[in-house]
Amino acid sequence: MEQFLQAVISGLVLGSIYALIAQGYYVTYITTNTLNFGQGDFLMLGAMVGLTLVMAGLPWWAALLAGVAAAALAGAVLERMAIRPLRHLLSVGWILSTVAVSMIVRNVALLRWGRNPMAFPSPFGSGVIRLTERVGVLPHEVFVAAASLVTMALLFLFLRRTLLGKALAAVAWNRDAASLMGINPVRMSVFAFVLSSALAGLGGVLVGPITQTSFTMGLTLGLRAFAAAIVGGLEHPGGILVGGLLIGVAEQVTAVIQPDLKDMTPFLLILLLLVVSPSGIFGRRLKEKY
Amino acid sequence: MKGRNLYKWLWVALGALAVGVPPLLYPSVFFIHLLERLAFLYIVIAGLNLLVGYSGQLSLGHAGFYALGAYGAALSAGRLGLPFPLALLFGAFLACGAGALVALLSLRARGPYLAMVTIAFGAVVEIAANRWTSLTGGPAGLRVDRPAWMEAGASYFYLAGALALVVTLLLANLVSSRYGRTLRAMGQSEVAAAVLGVDVRRWKMLVFGISAFLAGLGGTLLAFQSTFLNSDGFQFSVSVTFLIGVIAGGAGTLAGPLVGTVVVALLPQLFERLYDYHLMIFGAILLLTLLLMPQGIVGGAAAALRRIARAGGLGAGRAASRPAEAAGTGVVPRAAGTEVEAPVAGAAGTGAEAPAAGAAGTGAEARAAGAAASPADIPTWLVTDHAPGEVLLEARNLRMHFAGLVAVDGVDLTVRARTVHGLIGPNGSGKSTLVNMLSGVYTPSGGTILWQGQRVDGLPAHRMAQLGLTRTFQNLQLFPELTVLENVLVGFHRDCRRGFLHALLATPGMAREEAEHRRRAMELLALVGLAGAADLPAGSLPYGQQRLVEIARALALRPSLLVLDEPAAGCGPGEIEEISAVVGRLRAAGLAILVVEHHMEMIMGLCDEVTVLDFGQKIAEGSPGAIQRDPRVIEAYLGGEEVAALVGGVGS
Repeated sequence: MEQFLQAVISGLVLGSIYALIAQGYYVTYITTNTLNFGQGDFLMLGAMVGLTLVMAGLPWWAALLAGVAAAALAGAVLERMAIRPLRHLLSVGWILSTVAVSMIVRNVALLRWGRNPMAFPSPFGSGVIRLTERVGVLPHEVFVAAASLVTMALLFLFLRRTLLGKALAAVAWNRDAASLMGINPVRMSVFAFVLSSALAGLGGVLVGPITQTSFTMGLTLGLRAFAAAIVGGLEHPGGILVGGLLIGVAEQVTAVIQPDLKDMTPFLLILLLLVVSPSGIFGRRLKEKY
Repeated sequence: MKGRNLYKWLWVALGALAVGVPPLLYPSVFFIHLLERLAFLYIVIAGLNLLVGYSGQLSLGHAGFYALGAYGAALSAGRLGLPFPLALLFGAFLACGAGALVALLSLRARGPYLAMVTIAFGAVVEIAANRWTSLTGGPAGLRVDRPAWMEAGASYFYLAGALALVVTLLLANLVSSRYGRTLRAMGQSEVAAAVLGVDVRRWKMLVFGISAFLAGLGGTLLAFQSTFLNSDGFQFSVSVTFLIGVIAGGAGTLAGPLVGTVVVALLPQLFERLYDYHLMIFGAILLLTLLLMPQGIVGGAAAALRRIARAGGLGAGRAASRPAEAAGTGVVPRAAGTEVEAPVAGAAGTGAEAPAAGAAGTGAEARAAGAAASPADIPTWLVTDHAPGEVLLEARNLRMHFAGLVAVDGVDLTVRARTVHGLIGPNGSGKSTLVNMLSGVYTPSGGTILWQGQRVDGLPAHRMAQLGLTRTFQNLQLFPELTVLENVLVGFHRDCRRGFLHALLATPGMAREEAEHRRRAMELLALVGLAGAADLPAGSLPYGQQRLVEIARALALRPSLLVLDEPAAGCGPGEIEEISAVVGRLRAAGLAILVVEHHMEMIMGLCDEVTVLDFGQKIAEGSPGAIQRDPRVIEAYLGGEEVAALVGGVGS
């Protein structure tokens, strides 16, 4: 029983990170109908930059900001190089171009930081908070979950309440109409990718201390976050949060029951779910107009 | 036809040389191993090209099918003791089944959702290969017993090369047949394909099945290439590599996969010392191809050649030779006459690319030809034998609501044979929704639809099309990258009798059927006055002519009832006249036509009966004259009683 409790706790922590990264998919998907398949590698970039600065003796918050900034910058470049020129192509175009950029980012990280996983120290130390005798949680895990949730809440407030956030949503609803209202869709597209990548970078610095930090870390995390977004429905931020937590918990609980199945769980879940509801649990199925 | 066949066999001979000679020139083990790898990678990439390049679908999980083929073959040979050829088939068909299953799972999924289904499938297979070690041996490897003959020199390569050659030949036959055409059409507009009778679900399963079969076949060849098969070669990055092969070579071209295979298989060899830069090199190739040469190396080279040919004045000669070829397949002579001038005019214009100008030119000429056509021009095969007054379509109490909004609220509608029935109403009155329900595009929320007395509500669009009801779209749904002629040819889907095997083997029966459909398609294009534009991409035509292409395409189905959804929207007065003339001739041929339109002159001039909708309800029905005087109609359009009185006063 305690095993399962432990699994659920770890699952919720991981799930909140998946959800945080996946909100990045949401932000760009609603504004541009595209998303960054290399989101995971942007996360890795954030983690690597953050780790480098922490190791150089900078305070943790400075490393966090630098990681976020590095990923955000990469997002702006991605939009300019791989999204904007390919808008006219079928969906295959931007999916592959973002995959291509992610391969380049991963290779750069390999050259700069090497192949070996690195330890990322947590500012909260490594003492375990005991809940029961055999169930515990790292202070950093608590921090990760809390920071993810707070960031997501701020993101929602931003999108709903501020003019800039509303402008993003307006472009999503109708690009041409928004453009007539004086909103520059190109600038909004850049902004969406910067915001999305910044979330990935933040996720990277947050998650670094509780996973292995290496140049391949993005592939696993990015795919799981993508699964979370698809489970919840790409256009539904609340659904994405639920999707992330669901995948995190399902994965950890499966690990207790049958460790070999752990890595497969998110994908089996996706396949099962998309049969039942092809736009995610909460996805609204809009009728296409003909 | 004979000439083309000769040409084909010449290519086959060339391919046979390309397979047969290299091992003789460089009989080193390393080189032959590399050739084997090229052969089976090519088979996988050619299959993926069919899926991505032709049918416009996407798979980021092809490594999964590749793995299923490999393990299927290795295990069926090792555990079940199947002989090699059967193990090969077992592996390929296992992958094929999985492909059809993935298509079934992802039927309603699009864009990122489709990508996710294929990623998830690939991931599940890869993880299973890795962890289910009792079955697959995992990373440590599975022993494969190679038959003794494979050890002899280049014999295994000759087998793989021969298979690659056969695959190429069959794929070439397939994509040049109606199958290739339908796949491309489906990728450009699923709903248009559906209303022409194409069961999109089955076709997606077909194309995923074929593509997965070839990936599986490549996998089986990989399994028997050496005595050990390990699970490292089926990661996500392998799926991406396959896609790079398709895109870099040239998606949707026949030679593309070959070039793409060479790129993805040989580059790592060339840059062996730059191992640490592999990801970057592949990423850069993919990104640069997408940005600079979206049609890939082969597509880009072909476009460049065309430009050079045009600049050198060869374009005119090429264009002039086209009608000759077309005439050989049975094009009506009059059409061929206009066709000669069209492409030449386009090419001679400025020498630069000016497809729009070229299209406009042909349009003018074509229209002249069309205007000269008399009612006698209606092809006899379009004539229906429905009795006048026979009820074709009957809707009773039809309802449709979207999440609380009632778009159509209990409408009754009866369309009789040999009549033109108008459907009018202000914007948002539910006309399009009603048409979408009648044509099977939407499933009604309530009520019944009868087709010649049979319940048909809830039937999908392709079934309605097979029964004889098809439609055009308010927002055009052409297949823009297909030529005008090809667009119309897709419409003959219901009349296609020769199946998949005929297409694969390019049988004479298939060629005869195709020639007959081409002849009929040209008749239809002459009917709408577009015979001269037959070989232009449909997307390059002016708007009004695109509407006419849609009508011609719908007519190819030999419909009993043709639904025209705002055929005059965006058309000039001349074009409206032309559409009206065509509709009139179709009624004379015995078709029933349901036309949704805002253009009142057209409605009043054409229709035998008019139904008026407002806020999802029927507010009036009757002859055009009666409708024009109906106060409720005037109110719905102009609002207020005073206005109605005013208009009424002016009218009388």
